Amino acid sequence: MNGFFQPGRALSIARKEVRHILRDPFTLGLALGLPLLMVLFFGYAMDFNVHDIRLTVYDQDRSRASRQLAEVFQSSGYFQVRYRDLGPNPAAALDSQAAKAALFIEPHFERDLFREGTSTAQVLIDGSDNSTAGVIGGYLSGIQQAAAQRLTGQSPPATPVQITTRYLFNGELNSRWFTVPGLSVVVLAILGIMLTALTVAREWETGSMELLLSTPVTPLEIIVGKLAPYLVMGLIAQAIIYLAARLLFGVPFLGSHLWLLVSTLMFLAASMAQGLLISVVTRQQIAAIQFSQMAGQLPSLMLSGFIFPIESMPVFFQYLTMIFPARWFMIVLRGLFLRGAGFSELAGPMAVLLAMDVFFITLATKRFKKDVEP
Amino acid sequence: MSPKIGIQVENVTKYMGPNEALEDVSLSLEPGLLHGLIGPEGSGKTTLLRHLIGLLKPSRGKVVYLDNGKPVPFSQVRPQMAYMPQLQSLYADLSIGEHLDFFRDLYQIPEKTYKARRKELLQITRLGPFLDRAAGHLSGGMYKKLGLMCALLQSPNLVLLDEPTTGVDPISRREFWDLLYRLREEGILIVITTAYMDEAERCDRVHVIARGRHLASGEPQQVMRREKVRSFEELFIRYDKELAKK
Repeated sequence: MNGFFQPGRALSIARKEVRHILRDPFTLGLALGLPLLMVLFFGYAMDFNVHDIRLTVYDQDRSRASRQLAEVFQSSGYFQVRYRDLGPNPAAALDSQAAKAALFIEPHFERDLFREGTSTAQVLIDGSDNSTAGVIGGYLSGIQQAAAQRLTGQSPPATPVQITTRYLFNGELNSRWFTVPGLSVVVLAILGIMLTALTVAREWETGSMELLLSTPVTPLEIIVGKLAPYLVMGLIAQAIIYLAARLLFGVPFLGSHLWLLVSTLMFLAASMAQGLLISVVTRQQIAAIQFSQMAGQLPSLMLSGFIFPIESMPVFFQYLTMIFPARWFMIVLRGLFLRGAGFSELAGPMAVLLAMDVFFITLATKRFKKDVEP
Repeated sequence: MSPKIGIQVENVTKYMGPNEALEDVSLSLEPGLLHGLIGPEGSGKTTLLRHLIGLLKPSRGKVVYLDNGKPVPFSQVRPQMAYMPQLQSLYADLSIGEHLDFFRDLYQIPEKTYKARRKELLQITRLGPFLDRAAGHLSGGMYKKLGLMCALLQSPNLVLLDEPTTGVDPISRREFWDLLYRLREEGILIVITTAYMDEAERCDRVHVIARGRHLASGEPQQVMRREKVRSFEELFIRYDKELAKK
């Protein structure tokens, strides 16, 4: 008499849900505002590229060569050079926080250079900010080459083994190219988990779930009907991020848009199933929000490779990240945007996502009961 | 239509966590009558009602549904049942009209039947002029009437109402009862719970429940005579003292 799944009934639930969404500024604002806010924040405010590093130069040689050396730093674009006279304690140069790095040029710098063909200058770097320190260290080798060329007027002598480095896929190591596509993971995880958990928990909390369950509607129809509108909202959020990445930040997209759509749907499904599971277990909005933040933000921000590279985590955490869909979606996204990864390369992470979908959806629908037993 | 659906509750015990919510309850809900489950707050009325609509399963014992005196499976009776929970379970942001449309879709009522039924229900409840008002902005009485309309939309043969008149003013309560009597005339089995003792006397049959136990059943006047009390209030106070001693 009552089919297991009748599209008409699921549709009526979906229609009702759309009404709720359109009349609730919070949901709508979160779904559309969050991606915009995150893109602007991570795109503009959080710039991992280091430039305009304050460099204090203590030039005790005061020769042409020493000035040229400082100019090489200045003209690299990464440093802001200021001259100071050396105080009694050289390490104090960095204590005052006035500079991130200091260049010491000892007397006889020029004389040694011309007499012996080689000369030494020292750079002190503030190691208390280790991400900046690492970047400065990276710049130095390039500056050393440029300085050698400028000061001696000739190319550095050929060495038996020469290693040249070229960065593929993101030639300038632009951090926006790296973070903005990954934002999808954070935004979709938060939206998918939190909005789903909230909407189902609300029905339990107000008692309308009891009323729904007393009608011929089946749990599957309730789930499909309630989640479909949020799936659409998730896709809209993804579209916003995609357009912002391409138009505002000029991030290339080399892969297939079809795979982007498929993997987005798969990640959204996994997130929403987690949200459903949370709401079925908590049945209260406040608790649902708290659990959603745990399940949504923590893995997607910290354990997905979004900011902190998984390769440099302790081994335990490297394995831990594998149980979160966020990590796998991140691999797919970066592959699609920057490397133009094809199916053979994406098949692995996509298969994991699919398996997670099956697992979470099965678990959530199993736990979704057609009664009000505690 | 002649009354036919009845329910038999047989030795139902229900544990909710460590507590015993219902203890060996047996009672009979005869077809075509207006039954009241009465008792003080927390006595187990709602728990019993939820067993009748299948939202809770007994820990022991069973609920038997009868069609013309013959036992039939729950799945056969279920589509003929309507239920109205005690909590304010409607959607505050949806209007009366949107609620009716929503439940039409859930019950998949044909458009023609729906139109006639909707007109009839709006007339009985006199909610017609408020069709576009959101449920969150209805008065207590109107809200309960809307809940009842949603339940009655599918023309059920069995209606279960959990404290339908709590928090409703006296005039609306009277109207509500007139509505219930009209339904009973159609041969529908009605089960309501109430904590108002004056309402207990308006039922055809009362089933007295206190602290999870079924204490008495019968016509209201009969029960009071048998227990030698003048009101149900008196009866509850006495039961409470007796049960507290045990």
